[in-house]
Amino acid sequence: MTWLTVAKKDFRDAVQSRALWSLVGIFVVLSVVSTYAYVEAPALLGSQAGATFGGLIFFTIGLTGLFVPLAAIVVCYKSLAGERELGSIKLLLSLPTTRGQVFAGKVIGRAAVLAFGLSVGLVVGIGFGSVLLGEFDALAVLVFVLVTLSFAAIYATIVVGISATTGSTSRATTLALGFFVVFELLWDVVPMGILYVVEGFSLPATIPDWVYPVMQLSPSSAYFTTVVALLPDLAETVGADPSGAGAGVEVSATEAEPFYATPEIGLLVLALWLVVPLAVGYYRFDATDL
Amino acid sequence: MNAIELEGLTKRFGDVVAVDDLDLTIEEGEIFGFLGPNGAGKSTTIDILLDFLRPTSGTVTVLGHDAQSDGLAVRDRIGVLPDAYHVYDRLTGRQHVKFAIEMKGADDDAEALLERVRVADAADRKAGGYSKGMRQRMVLAMALVGDPDLLVLDEPSTGLDPNGAREMREIIREENERGTTVFFSSHIMEQVEAVCDRVAIINRGQLVAVDTIDGLRDSTETGETLYVYVADLDERVLESVRALEGVGSASIDDGRLRVSVDGVSKFAVLHAIDEVAAVQDFSVVESSLEDLFVRYTNAGQEVEA
Repeated sequence: MTWLTVAKKDFRDAVQSRALWSLVGIFVVLSVVSTYAYVEAPALLGSQAGATFGGLIFFTIGLTGLFVPLAAIVVCYKSLAGERELGSIKLLLSLPTTRGQVFAGKVIGRAAVLAFGLSVGLVVGIGFGSVLLGEFDALAVLVFVLVTLSFAAIYATIVVGISATTGSTSRATTLALGFFVVFELLWDVVPMGILYVVEGFSLPATIPDWVYPVMQLSPSSAYFTTVVALLPDLAETVGADPSGAGAGVEVSATEAEPFYATPEIGLLVLALWLVVPLAVGYYRFDATDL
Repeated sequence: MNAIELEGLTKRFGDVVAVDDLDLTIEEGEIFGFLGPNGAGKSTTIDILLDFLRPTSGTVTVLGHDAQSDGLAVRDRIGVLPDAYHVYDRLTGRQHVKFAIEMKGADDDAEALLERVRVADAADRKAGGYSKGMRQRMVLAMALVGDPDLLVLDEPSTGLDPNGAREMREIIREENERGTTVFFSSHIMEQVEAVCDRVAIINRGQLVAVDTIDGLRDSTETGETLYVYVADLDERVLESVRALEGVGSASIDDGRLRVSVDGVSKFAVLHAIDEVAAVQDFSVVESSLEDLFVRYTNAGQEVEA
């Protein structure tokens, strides 16, 4: 059970990070301003149906989808690489624990820090929005918050996993930012690039089915898709299309299609993003010379 | 049961051999000094013992448990003051010690431990603001948590002033009296001499001597150096003195004869020299353990150079 002690210590340590709280501050300001903009002038932000509570939730997903990866990088990139670079890991691993417990404790501690900061931002943002709209859908908020916190925990796992592979914070930074650029900023382009190559260096008129699951490999796309899968009615009223978050490629995800083309694929992708970084991070961390 | 057993321990980093086929046994209940110059392989050995590093070959057994495959059982029974560690800057001294107590599942009183190492008055300040000496004391307090059977201290007096180093030695002795085995490394002979039962000297990854302090002292006392002023000192005199029985080596040093004495009394040697050339004055320099340490650790370097 030393992982719990490690997690608690790590939480106490990381929650004092100024970078985290300035990021939360920015998130709160951004969510209040944009919520206000969304409610007062929905047309400006591309919503034809007018401001609704469901619309606000999907609108907020766009914000958290960007905020969570960045905050996770800030909170987690040094979690293990930094301790190795400085040498505090020696203090930790001199105690009766194992590298596996330390890794698990770090993931949980940092996920808790991220979830804590995010909750502050979400409560302010959603609270402010529901006051402005005079509307509140408890079930939708519950589902949204749970999925968002899980998304944050998964991102913490990804970045702690990256941090576990190296003893240099500069390499950890490079890897984490590289991950962000490839999977969050460029991922819209990547599947289209693959398609372009596969189709003999030309884009076909119709997008084949396999492009959809590949696009969902981006954690934040999977996050969006998961919310759509769990709140289908709300998504329909808002007209939220999973691929709408991405490159604007029209992919219809009706019930007749195979599983990999339904929004439920998002859940599977998120699960993968939990398991793979855990496995890779643990394997590398356990085998290395500190 | 032995406290620590190293068998054929070797660690390579690329083509650098940091620890070279080390065999060493530390018995339960002793205070063992692990001595060597910087870069000799002391910390590498200790890091393998703590499973921070994995050996290239060989095994380490601590209190009957394999350090690599059963590290948790090892760390359950030892207290560690590592080398080149870093504290958690944002946590207080008290939080550090409480963390160690919780990790070890012990029921020590953090306040009492901090008092014992004399940082109680800074207990609620963040450790990031501590001096090097205070950090060293705080980490020692963490090492003492849970009354360990073995204390592993890597350069414990780093950052401590002479008073602090003395207090450190007192704590080492107190713990030893309660039955704790103490294994500590140092590059300073004096500190080891003051407190250790036995000493190992390591240089360039290899063991060059293992003995009790008295054993080491005996071996140095037979190697005393005489400085002799004689009339008409020249090469001929030097040659004659070299040929005398009981003279290890002789040289001319600053207008004097420098003679190392082996196996016979100094008086006999002086007497013999007096017959070659009249002795006007002489002095005796007893080589300290420090000299021995320097000799052991430099000899290897000269051979390889």
